[in-house]
Amino acid sequence: MKRTLREIRLLPPLAISRLGDSPEPVNNYNVEVDPKDPLGFRKITSATAILVNQQTGEVSDICEGLEITFKDPQGRVRPVAPFIELWGRFGDDDEWIHLTRDDIDVDNLHWRVRLGNVKAFRRTGDVKDRIIADSGWFTDHDYRAMDGKCENFLAGKVLPFGHVQFIKPTEQFPHIRFRFTPAEGKVYGSNWFVKKADGTYQSANSADQPVDGANYIQHDLNIDDVVYNSGDGGGKWAGYTESTGAALTIPGAIYAGQSGPNGWVSSGYLDDECDGVIEVELRAKEKLSAFSRIGAGPPAYAPDSFPIRTVYDELEQALLGWEIAPNDYTDQELQKESEEIIRRAFETIRLMSTTTMNGNQVGPAPDIASTMVRQDRADAERAFEPIMAETIVDNLAVRALHQNIFASLSSGAPPWFLSVIRRFDEIGDLSTEGRRKMPAMMRNADGRYLTLTRRQREKIRHAANRLTSTTETKEKKR
Amino acid sequence: MRSRFARHLQWTKRQAPPRGEPRPSAMAFVAQLADTVAEERSISPEFNGHQYAIFLLHVAAEIEHALMVEYLYAAYTLGGPHVDPKYTPLIQQWQEVILGIAKEEMGHLISVQNVLRLISGPISFDRDDYPFGAEFYPFSFTLERLTLDSLAKYVYAEAPESWSGPVADEVRKRATQSAGGDVNHVAMLYELMIETINNMILVHDDAFRADTVPMQASWDEWGRGYTHGQRGNETHAAPAATPELIIEVVDTRAAAVDLLRRIAYQGEANDDCGENSHFKRFLTIYERWKEIAESDKNFDPSRPVVTNPIVGDSMPEKAPSLQESADSTNTISDPLTFYWAHLFNVRYRMLLTGLMHVFHVAGPLASTTQPSARGQLITLIFGEMYKVRGVASLLVTMPMRKGGDPSKHCAGPPFQMPYTLQIPEREVDRWRWHRDLLFAARDLLDELLVREEGSPRLAYVRSIRDADANTIAVIETMIARLDKLAEVPR
Repeated sequence: MKRTLREIRLLPPLAISRLGDSPEPVNNYNVEVDPKDPLGFRKITSATAILVNQQTGEVSDICEGLEITFKDPQGRVRPVAPFIELWGRFGDDDEWIHLTRDDIDVDNLHWRVRLGNVKAFRRTGDVKDRIIADSGWFTDHDYRAMDGKCENFLAGKVLPFGHVQFIKPTEQFPHIRFRFTPAEGKVYGSNWFVKKADGTYQSANSADQPVDGANYIQHDLNIDDVVYNSGDGGGKWAGYTESTGAALTIPGAIYAGQSGPNGWVSSGYLDDECDGVIEVELRAKEKLSAFSRIGAGPPAYAPDSFPIRTVYDELEQALLGWEIAPNDYTDQELQKESEEIIRRAFETIRLMSTTTMNGNQVGPAPDIASTMVRQDRADAERAFEPIMAETIVDNLAVRALHQNIFASLSSGAPPWFLSVIRRFDEIGDLSTEGRRKMPAMMRNADGRYLTLTRRQREKIRHAANRLTSTTETKEKKR
Repeated sequence: MRSRFARHLQWTKRQAPPRGEPRPSAMAFVAQLADTVAEERSISPEFNGHQYAIFLLHVAAEIEHALMVEYLYAAYTLGGPHVDPKYTPLIQQWQEVILGIAKEEMGHLISVQNVLRLISGPISFDRDDYPFGAEFYPFSFTLERLTLDSLAKYVYAEAPESWSGPVADEVRKRATQSAGGDVNHVAMLYELMIETINNMILVHDDAFRADTVPMQASWDEWGRGYTHGQRGNETHAAPAATPELIIEVVDTRAAAVDLLRRIAYQGEANDDCGENSHFKRFLTIYERWKEIAESDKNFDPSRPVVTNPIVGDSMPEKAPSLQESADSTNTISDPLTFYWAHLFNVRYRMLLTGLMHVFHVAGPLASTTQPSARGQLITLIFGEMYKVRGVASLLVTMPMRKGGDPSKHCAGPPFQMPYTLQIPEREVDRWRWHRDLLFAARDLLDELLVREEGSPRLAYVRSIRDADANTIAVIETMIARLDKLAEVPR
């Protein structure tokens, strides 16, 4: 007799997939620091991988030690296709377990996935620009296409968001799983021809561009298909123009386009990224339900490096708050957290042209890139002035400096650099001192200088709050 | 102070009044000396005015260097598992204040080099090994843990000459009990320097070379743009706007004099220069310490770090007995601490060698596609500062003797001076010099990799080794580039 299921969850509650046009997703992997190579790249190691037969919807194998490659032999990018698992708690038992077909009647599980890409709607405000895919409720194990539909699309056109599949539990692999395989990472458009900001067509400017008899570029090579109706009865996304404003993002105009007399003119492009919700209902005597969020982002081209501030850090702060209680962490844990932040700093530096980002003159002309130096001038009319002394920002030097800070932290000595870490309320400080705080030279999503989350900074502050080396104290909560 | 210096400083004793008799004001004393220098040339017949100015700057550099290390050592000894947690915030504040003062001494040391550069004098980072005495400092320079007695010495040494009253008497008594010497203060040296450099007869206008500015240390590069306590005052225990790192490039006589006056005012001024002076900061700690000690007899905020630790090239066959006197040294004899102490000395040498080198490299970033010499050197120096701090923080947790209990006697950073601070003449050979030192450090780290297996310190050994490997790779690039530039076209 099956036990009474009290509640269910879809775990993880948030999964981020990565776009890719290969039919074979990336095998499961871990990213680890090699203790014998503490300043080296993180190591990508094989983890337990689940292989699925898309035709039957069944798990074909669960393997260890598979090779990890991010592109297939044809050079196509392998997508990251996450599994969502159904977990539950029975009766008075507090323990959560990954449910199997032996725990519930699988035929009673009903799934629904809704995905959306509302980037164009976010700018135009036209509800007809919302691109939504809705699977409707289903119980089968088909490899189901999630086609985004939009009132402003041309007849019969959709924006493919990828596929979803309820993995069929078997005797050999009885656990209940669901999988989202994202789209290929293509760009869709509003016109096969390339238009200029004034609406006229772009003529060819190089010999290798295909042209028609009137010397117009024949084909916009960026796009895979024209799906958006920018003609009569269609939408305004192609040619949409904005500059700055209270309701806009900061900075504004963050879409593909070109400069026009009244602002930034949209090229009418759409990508196949999306996010949304997977819902599940167990429709038995008593209905239980759960949901999980999914999203699709671009491929990770530096999977062995982590940014200074990640979605994880945001979620941790949202969940636990910015303050840290005395007994939340041991000294060793706080030290590790501080080390991790510095590690991410030099990993980020490896991917930056620090001299350019500092505002040094690189090449014959100044101001050749979108930097905080340019943005400080544009936003606040600050003098165009490099952030740090120009002599000390070459990439190897900056990287070495951070690696030495990391090394010193690993001695167990408390962090000493808290006052250098930018506070959340200092992002608009454009004084020389304010601009030189860490993280440096980078922009946050709010358009101003990047900061750590308040909780990240608090961890460093608490780590600094001791008079002993972690090498001489036992691991215990404070 | 080394005899080759001391023989030119005999006037400090000759001119000083007998103990117990009223002393002339420093200004009057210096004015008298300056007149002597200008008119009679009797202080040293071997100097002209320009050479005398350089000599005084070297003396000042040695003292600033010695003070910086002494204060660093004292700050590193604070803390330990024995400290009652209720005192942790307070002791952290003290540590930050003392480290802030040490940073300011480093600023003084760097600024003195800028003045040396301006008047074409050789750069100087040399000093005697601890313990040693100097004519402008009332006590022997000693590496010792922070105690009420050692603190009293710092208060007294940094105090204005006019300081008086019961607290002054008590501090003076406590300080001089162990060290004696009611002699000159550093302020006098600065005033004499200022008088000399400001004297157009002694130091001619053509001695001031504005074209040396690109070789000087700038606040932008060395202070990283931070000032007025924007770094190093996280606990807000130090007075607002401190630590204040004074590092300025100087291009004229007036700028040099102004810089020296600011340095003198910050630390070694002979008048009561306000809450931000080193004197007031040390005195605040002293008074609070005394207050706590009256109610808590067990109050001891520092680790049992030995005085003047040293390490020999070979392990002593028999562990020497420990000496507590400020005029003695203590030889490290624990086999593991032995290697860490040597690693410390190598890192300290690399730091000083980097400082010597950087004052010979001029100019802004020449290229963004190649490592820049100046940027790499400044990074190397900051990297070594971090390592000096990191290794010191371990040494104060380690035993002095094999099987010793570090909670009773622990080692400390020896800060032993290298046999030479000279660097090779050719630029490419200077980089080879740095590489040699990194190779020496690598050998020590390889030894520690084996000896620290399974220890929590192993992660640090690996991290330093990795960081050094990256630095060696950059240096190899610099050497290859310079070798290529030196190739004779065929």
